[in-house]
Amino acid sequence: MIGSAATYVFLFISLFFEVFLLVVFLERRITRVEAQSAPVRTSELPTVCIVVPCFNEARTLEATVHSLLALHYPGEKLEIAIIDDGSTDDTLKIARRFESDARVKVFSKENGGKHTAMNLALAHTQAELIGCLDADSVVAPDALMQVVPIFNNPKIAAVTPGIHVREQKNILQRMQHVEYRLSIFNRFMLAAIGSVFITPGPFSFFRASVVRELGAWRYAHSTEDMEMALRIQLAGHLIANQPQAVVHTNTPSTLRGLFRQRVRWTYGWLRNAVDYRFMLGNKRFGNLGLIVLPTAIISVGAGIFFFLRILWNLGDTISHAILRYESGAGFPHVSFNAFYLPTSALWFLVWASIAMILALICAGSLIGTGKRLPPASTPLFLLFYSFLVPLWLIAAVFRATFKTGVRWR
Amino acid sequence: MEDPVVNTRGLRWSTYLIAFGITALIFATAFYVSNYFNNQRVVDVRNTEDSMSTDILSLETQFDLLTEHSCGDIAENTILPSELTSLGSQLSYLEAQGSGNQQEVESLKSLYSVLEIKDYLLMQQLATKCNLKPVFILYFYSNQGDCSDCEKQGYALTSLSETYPQLRVYSFDYNLNVGALQTLISIDDVDDNLPALVINGKVYYGFKSVDDIQKILPQLSTLQKSATSTAATSTKK
Repeated sequence: MIGSAATYVFLFISLFFEVFLLVVFLERRITRVEAQSAPVRTSELPTVCIVVPCFNEARTLEATVHSLLALHYPGEKLEIAIIDDGSTDDTLKIARRFESDARVKVFSKENGGKHTAMNLALAHTQAELIGCLDADSVVAPDALMQVVPIFNNPKIAAVTPGIHVREQKNILQRMQHVEYRLSIFNRFMLAAIGSVFITPGPFSFFRASVVRELGAWRYAHSTEDMEMALRIQLAGHLIANQPQAVVHTNTPSTLRGLFRQRVRWTYGWLRNAVDYRFMLGNKRFGNLGLIVLPTAIISVGAGIFFFLRILWNLGDTISHAILRYESGAGFPHVSFNAFYLPTSALWFLVWASIAMILALICAGSLIGTGKRLPPASTPLFLLFYSFLVPLWLIAAVFRATFKTGVRWR
Repeated sequence: MEDPVVNTRGLRWSTYLIAFGITALIFATAFYVSNYFNNQRVVDVRNTEDSMSTDILSLETQFDLLTEHSCGDIAENTILPSELTSLGSQLSYLEAQGSGNQQEVESLKSLYSVLEIKDYLLMQQLATKCNLKPVFILYFYSNQGDCSDCEKQGYALTSLSETYPQLRVYSFDYNLNVGALQTLISIDDVDDNLPALVINGKVYYGFKSVDDIQKILPQLSTLQKSATSTAATSTKK
């Protein structure tokens, strides 16, 4: 009875949040909010520093830097700071190859984590905007020109991009491709309601003056990009999203890699949520405090709860099958009878939730690519991904509870 | 393509209300549709029971007029065992769902038990007068959590019904407050040590596997085996 009530409560909350974002999306399309990316003259463009923090990125660094060098942006206004954070492979050697380009500066330091790499670059630059590009990502040539004009709005302290999966070599990456479309929608809508709480590593930009005011980057449970976003929100600044600033990022190709990455993300989120718990449910932070942060926390609990419930039902089915076997009845006769089609309210609500997620993926595709159709691998994502997510949710909750910490690699 | 936008993060209560209203509407629709289908199922079962009731009444009437009818005519009009087990299975499903009008389900179950008893009595009379040899099993179960082997017993009987379509398995909820059923229980002297099977007038307590029943009821071998499965189930829990 309690389990059943909890199921409906969690379903209501998750469905409400999905509907809420969709309503905001539709309201926006109806009201046609004015574009804030007015064209700017080259002479008026701000100086920009793009930091590439690297720790053993020899395999991917070259492509990342090449994509940065191909950016359509005046060379005299662009700095590319490659920070070798104590790599033990050929990262530094590869980085040095680019030093001949006037835009590139290479720094080498002892390993200290991403936040120390960002702060080193911040200390060595006079640029007005500072951005980050993880060394496993590549950007589209016009990406920076899509981002920069948004800073014309003085209230905006940071801009996040539209992140896409770089390669889809296997089923896992295809499913992540769909997930990233959903993230494009979420990031865009969260920006629309002033509630972005993550400035992801691939190609997020910050007003350098604001970052300095806020005390630069800090160690934050291996999720510094989340902590910085929360600090920006706390200070009352806005974080925008520019889905047309396209960045492609490498995604884990193995379950183990994906698991490790997501445990880190979720662990970091939970620990940061504890650190910034005063924002939860706090009306002072508007939509972020009242709905976005609480729902993000609840979604972790809901994911685990639904997973355990499915496991329970599976166990129940297995125990019935064992009983059947013990009775000597053999295998059941399979036949179709419409009478036994599942028609419980829960069943319909699960389908409604799936339909809603599908709608959000379509909206994500529209926002990110201009195409309304979801990726072809969407059915795979809907079928299997929800069974993978709880695995890292459980691991992350365990680690966050016992404060075990997580590693990048 | 969408425009990049940042609105202020201030609350817009109207958006919250609209989202809440739509979510509530989705929930209400889900419950309404589910309830509609559950009621439809109850109606289906009720219709089947009505039809079965009419068949039994007709058979009884035919039986009374036996002198004017041949046994063959009557035997052709008996209710198929698969109909009984199918109806029982549908009732079990409705009961297990736990949704909808459980009072209505209870009432359908009571009527089903009475129909089973009437069919059982009629078949006994038919067997005597027309020299038929129908094979019966009376199965008493409880679903009040005091019968750990009842589910297993249900599977074994379902399997037998599927293997031998002519086998008549009458399953009864021991705790059902129906006069005719309680009379049957006292006539057969069935204790509440469930599951209990009444085979050829003898009561067997405890779980009996498919093999056990086949040994107890050698007449089963005289029944024709099913080539393909019927959809009958009688898993009473």
